Amino acid sequence: MTPLDHQKTAIISRRTVLHAGAGLLGSAVLPWSSLAAFAAEDKPAIGTWPTGSQGDTVYIGAAVPLTGTYALQGADELKGWQLAVEHINEGHALMKALAPKVDKGLLGKKVELLSADSVAKPNQAVEVEQNYINQNKIILMTGSTSSAVAVALNKFAQREKVLYVAGISGSNDTTGKDCVRYGFRQNFFGQTAAAAIGPVLLKQFGKGKKAAFMTPDYTYGHTVTKSVNDYLTSQGGWEMVTNQVSPLGTQDFSQYLTNIANSGAEFLINVNWGRDAVLSTQQAKQFGLLPNMKLVIPYQIPFLAKEVGAEITEGVFAATDFWWTQEDQYPLAKQFVEAFQAKFGYRPEWGAENSYVSFAHWARMVSEAGSFYPPDVIKQYEKGETIPSLLGDVHYRPEDHQCIRPVVIVRGKAKKDMKNDEDFWEVLEVVPGEGLMQKPDAFGCNLGDYT
Amino acid sequence: MINWANFISQCFNGLVLGALLALISSGLTIIYGTLGVLNLAHGAMFMLGGYAGWVAYTYTGSFLVAVVAGSLFVMIVGVVVERLIIRHFYTRPHEDQLLVTFGLGIVFVEAVRFFFGSMSQTVPPPGLLVGITNLGFMIYPTYRLALLGIVAVALVALYFVLYRTRIGMIVRAGIEDSVMVDSLGIDVYRIFMLVFGIGAMAAGFAGIVNAPVVSIAPDVGEAILVQTFVVVVIGGVGSFLGAIIGGLIAGEIISITSMFNPGYSYVVLFVAMTLVLVLRPHGLLGTAGRE
Amino acid sequence: MNIKRPFLVELLTAAALILAPFVLPHLGFSPSTINRILIWGLFGIGFDILFGYTGLLSFGQSAFYGTGGMFAAYLLTQTGFSYVMAAIVIGAAVAGVVGYVIGLIALRRTGIYFAMITVAIAEVFFFVEFNPLSAFTGGENGLPGVPTPVFDLGFKVFEFDTDWTMYTFLAFWYFVGIVIALRIVRSPVGAILSAIRDNPLRAAALGHNIHGYKLTAFVVAAIYAGFAGGLLGVMQGFMPPDAFMFDTSGQVVMQTAIGGAGTLFGPLVGATVWLYLSDFFQNTLHLGATWKLVLGIVFVLLVCFLRRGIVGAIVDLYGLSTGRKSAHPAQASAESAPFDPAAIAPIAPRRRGGAPASGPILEARGLTKRYGGIVANSDIAFAVDHGEIRGIIGPNGAGKSTFFKMLTCEVAPTSGQIMFEGRDITGTGVSDVCQLGLTKSYQINQLFDRLSVRRNLTIAALGEARGKFRLDLFRSLHGVPGLDEQVEHTAALVNLTARLDRPVSALAYGEKRRLEIGLALATSPSLLLLDEPLAGMSPRERVETVALLKSIARGRTMIIIDHDMDSLFELVGKVTVLQEGRVLVEGTPGEIKTNAKVQEAYLGGVHGEMA
Repeated sequence: MTPLDHQKTAIISRRTVLHAGAGLLGSAVLPWSSLAAFAAEDKPAIGTWPTGSQGDTVYIGAAVPLTGTYALQGADELKGWQLAVEHINEGHALMKALAPKVDKGLLGKKVELLSADSVAKPNQAVEVEQNYINQNKIILMTGSTSSAVAVALNKFAQREKVLYVAGISGSNDTTGKDCVRYGFRQNFFGQTAAAAIGPVLLKQFGKGKKAAFMTPDYTYGHTVTKSVNDYLTSQGGWEMVTNQVSPLGTQDFSQYLTNIANSGAEFLINVNWGRDAVLSTQQAKQFGLLPNMKLVIPYQIPFLAKEVGAEITEGVFAATDFWWTQEDQYPLAKQFVEAFQAKFGYRPEWGAENSYVSFAHWARMVSEAGSFYPPDVIKQYEKGETIPSLLGDVHYRPEDHQCIRPVVIVRGKAKKDMKNDEDFWEVLEVVPGEGLMQKPDAFGCNLGDYT
Repeated sequence: MINWANFISQCFNGLVLGALLALISSGLTIIYGTLGVLNLAHGAMFMLGGYAGWVAYTYTGSFLVAVVAGSLFVMIVGVVVERLIIRHFYTRPHEDQLLVTFGLGIVFVEAVRFFFGSMSQTVPPPGLLVGITNLGFMIYPTYRLALLGIVAVALVALYFVLYRTRIGMIVRAGIEDSVMVDSLGIDVYRIFMLVFGIGAMAAGFAGIVNAPVVSIAPDVGEAILVQTFVVVVIGGVGSFLGAIIGGLIAGEIISITSMFNPGYSYVVLFVAMTLVLVLRPHGLLGTAGRE
Repeated sequence: MNIKRPFLVELLTAAALILAPFVLPHLGFSPSTINRILIWGLFGIGFDILFGYTGLLSFGQSAFYGTGGMFAAYLLTQTGFSYVMAAIVIGAAVAGVVGYVIGLIALRRTGIYFAMITVAIAEVFFFVEFNPLSAFTGGENGLPGVPTPVFDLGFKVFEFDTDWTMYTFLAFWYFVGIVIALRIVRSPVGAILSAIRDNPLRAAALGHNIHGYKLTAFVVAAIYAGFAGGLLGVMQGFMPPDAFMFDTSGQVVMQTAIGGAGTLFGPLVGATVWLYLSDFFQNTLHLGATWKLVLGIVFVLLVCFLRRGIVGAIVDLYGLSTGRKSAHPAQASAESAPFDPAAIAPIAPRRRGGAPASGPILEARGLTKRYGGIVANSDIAFAVDHGEIRGIIGPNGAGKSTFFKMLTCEVAPTSGQIMFEGRDITGTGVSDVCQLGLTKSYQINQLFDRLSVRRNLTIAALGEARGKFRLDLFRSLHGVPGLDEQVEHTAALVNLTARLDRPVSALAYGEKRRLEIGLALATSPSLLLLDEPLAGMSPRERVETVALLKSIARGRTMIIIDHDMDSLFELVGKVTVLQEGRVLVEGTPGEIKTNAKVQEAYLGGVHGEMA
């Protein structure tokens, strides 16, 4: 093949090759000699290492939906990452609490966040990241508000040997059957949500209830519905009277709601996500299903309450990753909410929280390992040490790279009880992560290689 | 086994959805029938109507003002777009018209996102129409019932404009034979501008009256556009009546199939379109005149 | 295309593909972007054959892109099938088969209807991929883990697992794709596709099965799309479900429009601009979510002001700068030289079938055509003998044109029967009739306006040379026996030799009129119908055209409609007079001139016309 092959070694920048590459021979000789220099150590070049961390600045690439249906959640996530990077670079107290060895940068280097629109599409996300790997030698990837993107980037991370921390991703598969050595997830997901909210529902409402499900017609939706339903039927003798499956991007839910209205359900368990959740919930209200039926949202959607209004979310049960009023119990959460609000003018939702924490955890692992070398960082994660998060201590499980963290159960407040215009939920319970999460091999995780 | 109460409710859902599709499609079809331009920005016009109405609503708190503002604003957008851009495309190939309206659609959607962000917005129905109505055999959201009436009135109004006014006669003549209208010495360009405005207004009106049902977001028009295509293909391009019948058929198909397996609603819809194409290539009420 | 330097385009393409990795990175393109550009470009080649060359704007190409890619990815990731190239080829073939079936439905209509139908069909594919077939396609997660190609040549193993090796792999296939596409557009099929784009009705009237050719273009586009889809999966090790989305179709359409449709390279250029700008807006200008707005505005402006896209503009600029040799001097000399068509050998009518060359060549019985309540033609009995030249006259609205349309089977009669050379042609199509040797020159010019005179005549002559439908996709036009001779011969007869390489749009009216006749003539008809061949001509042009008609009448049967009776009566042996859709009278010019009924029919209107 052509001498250009050696690009893959990532030892020298693309530009170097091409400057030399004006003459084919020149480029054929150069990369090999430089490779030899690095191969002398016991850490052969891998992914963007070491090129990506040789300058004064290391780059992180975020593929985040800024247009399209998940644009709202994407913009929120992006703010979380921006704040985290800012805190890493200035050595903010909150960051130092989460990652003590961070000191105005990471291992003496500034961190810079690059971001581009993924339109919530796997292909676009991979395209964006592939570019960043090529152009900027990014050492960390992030982004997703849908599990399709998370799964795609997981696989891409493993292929490119560049670390990936997931954005919002609710599918069991992300750290289940599609888990990878190079991918990590901080936030909760479908099965944990079901396991956390199920006991609360049984405690509150007792056994033998009838529930109608609304499920978006893709893998994520089906897995969450199954997780929730399995729990409720096996543990509480509940009955699924209907499961209304709607295509992604449905605008008018009237036909599904009509079916539910005629089903005799007492509970409406809405598994839809993003705009689908907003529209289906609003229309359930229009059809008079709410408040006659109790609405349960197993996987809370950032900004749902803001979009549909407190009249609808009043009394709704939801599981979430984080809610800002937890600042009263958790000092770190308080610092985060304040810093975020000061910078962006509103209180963060869990998308931003997940972004911030997953970056902080990554910064911690890098600084503890004292190396950007990906296998070192991965092994640091895999030590499974107990580390702080905004909601107390957590740890990453070495078997599937899932963060074992609490799940927060919230109930919608009535408008009159709201202390400010963002005080939509009251926290009912913080369910500890240990024991909540399925066994690491339950969904067939096989992490793959380090190199 | 069929649950008859459910079946009747679903027929009703189909009627409401169908009426709305009919209104949007009729705008698309009269523009196409008269000007020969398929407006791929029609979905964006629908979205613009919702946003213009929402802005008016936040300032005045009146639903009526919102409806008027939404419709008028989109009409003005239509007239301006026709005057500044579409007019220069009448002599260019159909394909160029598709390209430019496709591009305009993107520009409108992203401009709205630029000004108003991605968060969805709600326009509540007027106080009288909040809540649900018990029809005896079923309960139904009051505003949706009203929506059926509102859309029906709009369709009748459109019918009167098309069939009972001088402009309407010229428009219909234009659908039959645009060359002939040309030779009658009528200022075709002015008529075209007006038709584009009226067609856009139909979408804008639908956009704002639908806003209390489906909250508005920048991407709200995209899905609607594909459905209106199906409606127009089923009904026959350029046929006002065809758009109405096509709309109702599409609405009923989507609703009734959802009783059995919602996942296949759209597949069945497209199969129906294919059947129409095979059996009646020009649509149920289309004429062979236009391609 | 360029005859003198037949492989120039291919050579330049190869050179550009070799140089690209050394040049583009300096302009800010990363290798993965360049790879994506190649895939979009390859996807777009097929789309350009469909849209730019055949004039069919499909918004449903994502269906084939996705189908090809998913099928290949499924084979490679789920079935243990390990031959990457074979999987891609199978995927492309599946996309082609799917394209054939979809084409049967979508091509029932053209233009805007076609565009809408393709949108709808692509949506169905998306739904089907996403749900009913999610067990095979991975639903919203797509299919990760698509392997990269490896070729073991025994002495060396080629593995395309890095960006630049992948580039060589993709560039090779792009090159193959463009070479094949160039062969196709330079083939007889390519010529007919561009004829369909410019004037489908005339293309059909010249004896081509346009539905068959459209379907061909559709399938070719589907195969290209499927192949590109397969490459996408291999390139990024992941076959995404969003390949099926409407946005994918929209993007290939926009990129082709930006780059320039009908150029084959347009999609590649368009993809380059598109990917470059989206990267530039987001990562250099940091526009955030606004990038799409700006890109949308850029697109609208380009469509408004650069009608033929970037490649088209470059071609135009090149044309301007080299100062395209003006044909004016040649024109002057051509006009001044006396032209005598009779001095040129006639084009012999083709003998098809074994019918005797005597007696009636065409016979119509009881021919009636009603449009709703209006009777255009009523119970016409009409016969023309071999070698005859027949004139048809009648006042406006007498039904002459409708009568012609029925004879050429453009419209089916409501009742009655038409016999041509002893066979019943009632209800057959215009293309079949042309193949049998009956064709017409039109009252209003029906030319292929964007093509050269040579290409126009070539398209006409191809009908005779190749029959109604033939898939000689890879044959050069010059490889069609007798084609060039026929074209040049016809051009000489209609005095357009000096104009052969000019576009039709640059011709004077009289010249277009002659080309109109030339198109009909180039099919070597045994029966030629001429609908008002003299319409709109100056007196001098009429004289010339009458001489031309006399010359082409040698050995051929002709029927001529015209209002210029002096000229007509000079040409024809017998005249049929139509009035109010019926045959009023038939006779020699002398008889007709003095016929009382005819006098009355014409004098009933205005005096002038019988002169």
